[in-house]
Amino acid sequence: MTPILRRSFLRRAGLPAALLPLIHGLPSLGLAAPARPRQRLVIVFSPNGTIPTEFWPDRTGTDFALKRILEPLAPHRDCLLTLRGISNRVRGDGDGHMRGMSCLLTGTELLPGNIQGGGKSIPAGWAGGISIDQEIRNFLQSSPETRTRFGSLEFGVGVQDRADPWTRMSYAGPGQPVAPTSDPYQMFEKLYGGMRDRAHLRSVLDPLQADLAKVRRMVSPEDRRVLEEHETLLRRLERETADRAGPPTLEAGVADQNDNVPRLSRMQVDLMVNCFVNDMTRVATLQYTATLQYTKSVGSARMNWLSISDGHHALSHEPDSDAAAQEKLIRINTWFAGEVRYLADRLAATPEPGGDGSMLDHTLIVWTNELGKGNSHTLDNIPFVLLGGGAGFRMGRALEFDKVPHNRLLLALAHGFGHRIPTFGKADFCSAGPLALG
Amino acid sequence: MAPTPPRLLPALSLLLGAALWSAGCQRDPAAALAADAGAALYRAKCADCHGAKGEGVEGKYGSPLTGDWSLARLTRYTALNMPDDAPETLSPAEAQAVSAYIFDAFYSPAAQARLNPPRRELQHLTNTQYAISVADLLAGLAPPAAPPEASAPAAGGLAAVYFGSAQRGRFDAAKAAHRGVDPGVDFEFNPGSPALARAGAAEFSVQWRGSLLAEETGDHEFTVRTPNTVRFWINAEPGVPADASLDVNVSNPTRPDHRVTVRLLAGRRYPIAIDYWALPEKPGAPPPAIALRWKPPHGTERPVPARLLSPAPARPTLVVATRFPPDDGSHGYERGLSVSAAWDEATTRAAFEVAAHVGRRVDRLDGTRAGDAGRAGRIEAFAARFLAGAFRRPLTAEEREAQVAAVFRAAPDPETGLRRVVLFALKSPRFLYPDLPSPEAPGSRVAARLALSLWDSVPDAALAAAAAGGGLVTPEQVAAQATRMLGDPRARAKLRGFFEHWLQLRFVESLPPDPAHFPGFTPELAEDLRTSLRLFLDDIAWDGSGDFRELLRAGHVFANARVAGYYGWPAPSGDGFARVATSPGERSGVLTHPYLLAALSHPRSTSPILRGVFLTRGIVGRSLRSPQVAVAFNDAEFAPGMSMREKVEKLTRTENCQGCHAVINPLGFSLEWYDATGRFRREDEGRPVDAASDYFADDGQAVRLGGARDVAEFALAHAPSLEAFIEQLFHHLVKQPAIAHGPGVLAGLRDSWIASGHDLRQLMVRIATLAALHGLEPPPPAAP
Repeated sequence: MTPILRRSFLRRAGLPAALLPLIHGLPSLGLAAPARPRQRLVIVFSPNGTIPTEFWPDRTGTDFALKRILEPLAPHRDCLLTLRGISNRVRGDGDGHMRGMSCLLTGTELLPGNIQGGGKSIPAGWAGGISIDQEIRNFLQSSPETRTRFGSLEFGVGVQDRADPWTRMSYAGPGQPVAPTSDPYQMFEKLYGGMRDRAHLRSVLDPLQADLAKVRRMVSPEDRRVLEEHETLLRRLERETADRAGPPTLEAGVADQNDNVPRLSRMQVDLMVNCFVNDMTRVATLQYTATLQYTKSVGSARMNWLSISDGHHALSHEPDSDAAAQEKLIRINTWFAGEVRYLADRLAATPEPGGDGSMLDHTLIVWTNELGKGNSHTLDNIPFVLLGGGAGFRMGRALEFDKVPHNRLLLALAHGFGHRIPTFGKADFCSAGPLALG
Repeated sequence: MAPTPPRLLPALSLLLGAALWSAGCQRDPAAALAADAGAALYRAKCADCHGAKGEGVEGKYGSPLTGDWSLARLTRYTALNMPDDAPETLSPAEAQAVSAYIFDAFYSPAAQARLNPPRRELQHLTNTQYAISVADLLAGLAPPAAPPEASAPAAGGLAAVYFGSAQRGRFDAAKAAHRGVDPGVDFEFNPGSPALARAGAAEFSVQWRGSLLAEETGDHEFTVRTPNTVRFWINAEPGVPADASLDVNVSNPTRPDHRVTVRLLAGRRYPIAIDYWALPEKPGAPPPAIALRWKPPHGTERPVPARLLSPAPARPTLVVATRFPPDDGSHGYERGLSVSAAWDEATTRAAFEVAAHVGRRVDRLDGTRAGDAGRAGRIEAFAARFLAGAFRRPLTAEEREAQVAAVFRAAPDPETGLRRVVLFALKSPRFLYPDLPSPEAPGSRVAARLALSLWDSVPDAALAAAAAGGGLVTPEQVAAQATRMLGDPRARAKLRGFFEHWLQLRFVESLPPDPAHFPGFTPELAEDLRTSLRLFLDDIAWDGSGDFRELLRAGHVFANARVAGYYGWPAPSGDGFARVATSPGERSGVLTHPYLLAALSHPRSTSPILRGVFLTRGIVGRSLRSPQVAVAFNDAEFAPGMSMREKVEKLTRTENCQGCHAVINPLGFSLEWYDATGRFRREDEGRPVDAASDYFADDGQAVRLGGARDVAEFALAHAPSLEAFIEQLFHHLVKQPAIAHGPGVLAGLRDSWIASGHDLRQLMVRIATLAALHGLEPPPPAAP
C-alpha cells in the first residue's frame, strides 16, 4: 500500500484504552469489563460473483490451502472459515441480480413493485422481510448490556445514489431499506457532527462574551440583570464545550469518485474500527458498490488502480474461455480480499477494550457476494467467507455443504449471537435448522 | 394581579349590599367631609393594621392594600366590616371619605401605576418572533423573486401536466398530453376514467406544481397515498430530487401511505409539488392511483382544501424545527422574559440548525458555484449581510472586520467561516434581545420595534432604508411605514395570533361536545367551524370596514354546506365557504360564533360559567381571579329537570362564590340561547330558555341583559371595556405593559379609536407607532 493510504489522519485506534479521550456523549472506555464478552458482526459485500476455481480451497477440513483470491487472508488463516455449497434458494418476482442483492441478507421473497429487471422477469419491489444484520442489531439493542448508541452502521464504498433493490441489502423490515453511507465525511458528520459543531461554538464564545459585556454597559441597571443571567449561561456553555476532547480528524478533500475508491475504502474501514473501539455500534455492513457494479461515475466502474479499465460487471459476463477476462476478475476479487484483510488487520492489532485478546477475536466478519459466478448468474455456491471470532464457531477450516439454503447460515449467525430464533426469512428453507459451525 | 383583599367577605350577599348602599354610594355633597378628612381618618383608624401607605403590617394585616374592586364596592365593604375590631361604627360619610382616600392613594391599579410605574423591560424574542425573524432574515438575503405572472390564477388548485409516457425520474416534454389546473390530487386512474383519458396512455406520468397557504403555525402531516412511484416536495425546492420530502422510487402496493411531517408558519405560502409515475406493475396489481391528504394542527386528516392551493410558485422558507421551551406567560400574554438554561440550549441548537441549513445551500442562496473565481469573497459578503440582518442594522466597520473578515481569515475554508458567522449572529445578544440601544444606527431601533409589533419579524428592505435615511423620526413618518406594513401578509398573521389569544383559542385541541349526544357534530364540522371563525375575523379586519363593532354585532357568518346544514342557515352555493345571513337577532358577532360557544361547553351541556368568564375577561374587560375553591360541575348532583341556569345558580350561590359569580353569571346566562354546540334554541330541558338577568357594572350601573347583543352593546358603550380590549391588543403587539407608555395611553388610544370609527387597522398603526417611538422621541428643538 502507498504511504498516502497509510497516513490516514484518523486517531489510530490502536492506542491503549487509557489514552483515548473521553468523547462527549459516548461511553467512556477503560471502565469495568462488560459482564459478557462483546460480540460484533460485520458483513462485507462485493458484487458480481467470484471465480470459483481460484476461490474455493480444494480440500476441506483444517488442512486446506488458500488459492489466489483468498491468499491475502493467509495471516488470518487460523480464524478463517470458508463455506462452499450454500445457495440462495429464494425465488419469486424480480430478476437474478435483484433477488441476489435484496434476498441475500433477508432470505425471503421480494414484495410486489415496479422495478423491472432483465429478461422477462416480473417486476418486483423491495425485500419482503428484515435482513439478518438488522435482526441481530435489534436483538442486541433490546438489552442494556449490549445496547449501543447507533445499534448498526451501514458503510458503503462507491454505492450509486439510487434507491432500488439492486443497491440495497439491509432492510429494517419489509419494504424498509436502509441506505449505506458512501461518503466518509457524511458518516463522520453522523458520528461526530455534534462534536464538530461544539468546536465551532467554542470559536465564537469569546467574541460573544465580549459583545455581551459591551451591550450590558449600554442598558439601564434594571435591565442589566437579564443580561447577567444570559452571561452566566454563556459561561456555562463555555465550560461544557471546553471539557470535551475534539473529534478525530479525517483526511480532507477525498472526493467520492471512482478513482478514489481505494482511499475511500480505507477511510471507511478506519471509521468503522473507530466506531467499534468507542462501542458506538456492534453491527456494521460494508457494501462495495452494488450488484451490477453501479457506481457514482457515469458508466460502469473501472478498477483503474489495478490497471483494469474494463467495467467489473461487463467483465463478469465474459465466458470462462476468455482467459484475459478471467485473469482480470481474479485480480479484482483479490483486491476485495485485500480490503477484507485490512479490516481484519486493524481489528487484530487493537486490543479488545475491557476484554481479552484482540478486537478481531470478538468480531465476526462475513464476506459475501450476491452471485456464485458472474457469467452464469448462478445463485449456488455463494462465496461465503467468515473471519474472526466471538460467535462460537470453530474457525480455521474449509467446509463444504450440499446446496443448503443460505437461510440456514443466516440462522446460524443469529444463534451465534445468542438470538435463538427458529426460522429466518422463508421458513420452508429453515426446516433443517441452523448450519452447525461450532 | 394584586392579592385578594381580606378573605372574610361580608355576611350579606353583595347584591343585598348593593341594594342597601346604592343610595349611599352616590356622593352626597351635604354629608361630604373635607378631602383630607379621609387621610386623617385613615391615619387614626386604619394605619395601625394596614400601614401608613397601605403596605401592610406584619402580625396584623400583612398583605398590601391593593386590588381591583371598584370604589363603590370598596366603600360598601369598608362600611360593613371596618375597622376590624369595631365594624359598622363608621358613618356613611366617613366610610365614603376613607375609602376614597384609600382608593386614590394606593389601592386602585391607577394609583399603583402612579406609585410604581411599570416600565418597558428588556426581553428576548418570543418563540414565534424567533422563528419568523430567522425565516425572514434568510428570505431577505435571497435574490429577489420573479414577480408572479399576471395571468396566473390566484388560487384554486395546482398546475398539472400529464405526460403520455413514464420514465422513472424524468419527464418527456414531447409527450405532454394535457395541461390544466387540478383543484386537488385525488385520482384513481381506472380504465375509462377521465383522469386516465387526460394522460392518454397506459403508462403515464404527471407533474403537479404550485403553492400551499398554511393557516396555522405548527406541525403539518402530509400523506401521499399511492401504490406507484412518486416524489413529493413541501416547503422544499420542487424538482430537486435531493430535497424531496418523500422519495418513493420503488413502488410498494402493500404500503401505499407515505407520510412526512413538516413545521410551517401561519400566513405564508409554501412550494408544494408532486412528480408521479405510473410504471408497469406486476400483472393483477390495482390500477394506478394517487391522493394527497394532510392533517394540519387542530385538524383531521382530509384532502388539502382547494382554496389553500395555488398554481403560483413559492420559495421555500426555513422554519426552524428546534423546540423552544414555552414563553413566559405569567403576565397574561407571551413575553421573552425568562432566561433559562433550556432556552439558552434551544438558541444554541437552533443556531446550529440554521448554520447547517445555510452551509448546505450557500451556492443556491447566493448564486455561486463551486469553482467560481471569487466565490470565497462572495460567501464572505453573504455572511456580512447575514450578520447585518441579524443585528437589524448595517454593521460598523469595526464589526465587519472583527466578526466577519477576521473570522474568514482564521477559518480553513469559506464554508466554515460562514458557519461561524451564522452561529455568532444567532447567539448574539443583539439578535436575541431586539430592543437594545443601537447608537451606531439611530432609527434602526424604531424599525426593529415596528417590525416586531406588526410582523413579529425583522425589518424589510424598505423599512431598513427608511431607518438609515432618517425617515423614521416623526410620528407621521412612522405611522406611514406602519400603514404600509399592514398590507403585508405577516400583519394578518400577527393579528390572527391576537384573535387566538383574545378568544382563548390557543389551547383548544378538540371541542368538548360529544358527537354521540349531538349527532352531526363531527371532528370535520369542528374543523369547518374553525375555518368559519377565521374567515369571519379576517373578513371584518382586513377585507371589510375594519370596524371593531361589527366583530361584536354582526349577524352574518361564513359557512359551507355542512356548517349551514347543522346550524339551520341558508346553504351557500358551491363547495366552499361563503358569507351567509342568519335570522335577525339570532347572532351577534364573535360572541355567538359556534366555535367559541362549543369550546366553552361541557360534552353534553352548555357551560354558562366558562362562557361567562370569557365574556367577563374578553368582552367586558373586567379582571377575575382564580376561584378560591375549585368546584367541579357534576351533573348528577342536581335534580333532574333543572335547567342549566338553575344548576349554576344553585352551585354558585354562596357568598364566597358570589364575589365573582355576581359578575360572571349574568353574562354567561345571556348565552343560554345556544346549546353546547352553539346551535340556537328556545328551550333547555323542555323549559323555555331564561337568559335575562341584571348585570352590575363596576361603577354600579345596572344593565338588563336579554341576550348576546345586549352584552355587545354594553361593552361598546362602556369606556373601561374598550380600554381593556385596547390593552389586550397592545400587549399582544408590543409585548410590554401598556401603562409603561404613559398613564393616559389607554384613554388616548380609546378616544382616537372611537373617533376613527373603531377602526382596528388604525388602532394597530397607532399602537405600533406609539410604542416604536416611546423613549426615543427626538429632543425638542432648543428654545430660541
